[in-house]
Amino acid sequence: MTRSLSDDRPDDSAKPAESDGDAVDDADPAAVTGGPGADDRGRIKVGVGELAVTTDESTLTTSGLGSCVAVALVDERAGVRGLLHAMLPAGEGRTTAASRPAKYVDTGIDSLIGALDDAGADPRRLEARVAGGAEMLDLTDAVGPRNVERVGEVLDRAGVPIVASDVGDTVGRTVRFDPDGRLVVRAADGFERAI
Amino acid sequence: MRVDVRALGACNRLAERGAKQAAGALSDLTGTDLAVEVTGASVASGEDLAESFAGRESIGVSVGLRGGLDGEAVLAFDAVNADALLSLLPGGQSMGRSAVTEVGNIALGGFLDGWANYLGKAIDMSPPRYFEADGAAVLPDGALAGDGVFLFESRLDATTTDLDFSIYMLPDSGPFRDLIVGKTAPAVTAGGEADGGTTSTAVPYESLSTFSSLAKRGSANAADNIAMMTGLETSVDVSRLRFVPLADVPAEVGTEPHAGTVFELQGEPSGYLAILFEESSAAAVADAMLPMETDEPLGDMAENALCELGNVMTSGFIDGWANVLGTTITHSPPEFVHDIGASTISPLVAKLSERQDYGFVIDTAIQTEGIQARCDVYALPDERELARALDRLSES
Repeated sequence: MTRSLSDDRPDDSAKPAESDGDAVDDADPAAVTGGPGADDRGRIKVGVGELAVTTDESTLTTSGLGSCVAVALVDERAGVRGLLHAMLPAGEGRTTAASRPAKYVDTGIDSLIGALDDAGADPRRLEARVAGGAEMLDLTDAVGPRNVERVGEVLDRAGVPIVASDVGDTVGRTVRFDPDGRLVVRAADGFERAI
Repeated sequence: MRVDVRALGACNRLAERGAKQAAGALSDLTGTDLAVEVTGASVASGEDLAESFAGRESIGVSVGLRGGLDGEAVLAFDAVNADALLSLLPGGQSMGRSAVTEVGNIALGGFLDGWANYLGKAIDMSPPRYFEADGAAVLPDGALAGDGVFLFESRLDATTTDLDFSIYMLPDSGPFRDLIVGKTAPAVTAGGEADGGTTSTAVPYESLSTFSSLAKRGSANAADNIAMMTGLETSVDVSRLRFVPLADVPAEVGTEPHAGTVFELQGEPSGYLAILFEESSAAAVADAMLPMETDEPLGDMAENALCELGNVMTSGFIDGWANVLGTTITHSPPEFVHDIGASTISPLVAKLSERQDYGFVIDTAIQTEGIQARCDVYALPDERELARALDRLSES
C-alpha cells in the first residue's frame, strides 16, 4: 500500500541488548517501537486536504498546520494508522467534497475511517489524536476553532474517542504520526511534545 | 474566444495526476520515495520565464508530443544533483546519459498517460532527447517566444535524499487553446446551473496575459515602495502568475519560520495578500528601517516597521491593478504574522477554499541590495471577481 524503504534489512548497526537477534517477523508491534530515528523507515507526507493510511512501520507526517487540523487515527491491535490534514469544517452538501473529501473535516474523517476499515482496522477500536486548529489571524473569522469543534462532533458521532489533543492557540504546528501510535507535535519555536 | 478558469483547473488536476504517476515510476526505478510538491500552470511571457530561470544549469530529457496533445514535455533536474541521481539508477555512473534518458522516458510516459486518458486520445512521444542546458534553455521549444504561453510545471521532491525534479509541459498554444475552449462550453453551463446562473468564471483568453503583466506591474510598484521607505535598492527577482490548487500553496511557502504581514483585499477582486520574509530577512529589513539598535531582533518595534512596510507595499501592489482594471480595491490594516511559513498562510487559503479549489497565485520575489533580504508576496484573488474584472477590461 505504501511505498517505503523499510525492507527489513539485516541490522548491522549497533543493536540494543535484547539480542535474540532475529528479524522482525515475530515481533509484536510494541517491540519495534523506539528504534533509532524514523528516517530509516518510510516517511509518508500528507499534504493539505489529503489523507494517508499505513499498515507498516512508516511515519506519517504533515507540516505547516495553521488553522487546519490534523486527525490521527489508530487501531493499535490491527497495526493500522491514518492521518488526515483538513482545511475547512464542513464539506457536506458541497460539490467539491466528492472530488476531494479530505479537504473538509466531516467528509475527511468519514473517508479516513473508511480507508482504515479497508486496510484492516476495526472502526470500533479506533482512537483519535488531534492537533492544529490554531487561530492564526484575526482576519479569518475563527476557521481554526471551527475546525476543532467540527472534529469533536464528527468523531463523537462516529464513536471514536479523542485520547489526546494539542489544538487552538495561535501557533503553527508540524506533526509526525509514529508507528507506536503517538503523535509528535512540533511548534515553530522547535518545542516538541508527543501526545 | 473565452476560456473558463475552471477548465484550467481540470487541466491542472491532470498535470498533477500525471506528475504523481511520474513520481511513482521514478520511485520504483531509483528506490527513493518521491512526492509531488507542487503542480501549477503558469501564464507567463518568454521574458519572465527567461528571468526566472537565469543562473540555473539543468540536465534532462525532452520528448515531442503528437496526437491528443501537440507540443513538448521536459523532465529536468539541477546539474549539481547529477551524481546523486546517477548513483541511484540501475547501472549507475557508468550508464550516465543513457540511464538519464531512460528515466526521462519512463517518467514522461507516466506523466502523459493521465492526459491521454482524459482526452480519450493517444499521445505519441518522439524518442527522448538528452540535453544539458543553461537557464531557460531547459524549457520546451517555443516557451520563450510567445507572450502568454501556458506552461505546466510540477516539482517532485525526494523525501530522503537531496534530489528534485521538475517536469515542464508546453502545449502548442493554438491546439491547446482550442482544447480548453472546447472544454469550456459544458463547464460554463454546468457551473452556471449549479450557481443559479449568476456567476461565470469564463474570461477572454487574451486577458490572461494581460493579468500576467498586471501582476508584474504590481510587484514593481511594491518594490519601488520598499526602496522609498527603506532607502535600500530593490529589484523584482521573479514575478509569475500561476494557476494552482490552493491546497498546494502552504507547501510552497514551506516550513521555515517566516515573519511578515497579511491583508484582506476588498473590492474587485477581493481576496488576500501576504508578504512573507524569512526570519533573518525580516530582521535585516526592520533593522534598516529603524533609527536605533533593538534588543530583540523581531520585537515590537520591528513588528511596527514591518507592518508599515507591508502597508506601502500592498498599496503599491493593488494600485497597479485597480488602475488597469478600472476598479477600486482597498485593503485591511496589516496583521503581523510570525510563525511556520505554511501555517501563516493556511487560514487565507482555507477562507478562499470555501469558494474555489484553484486559485491564481501571483508570487513575486523582491530582493534588496546592500543587505541580504528577500521577501515573497502571495496575492490570492477571488477567481470569480477576477474573471469579472478581466472580462470587463476586454470589453472596454
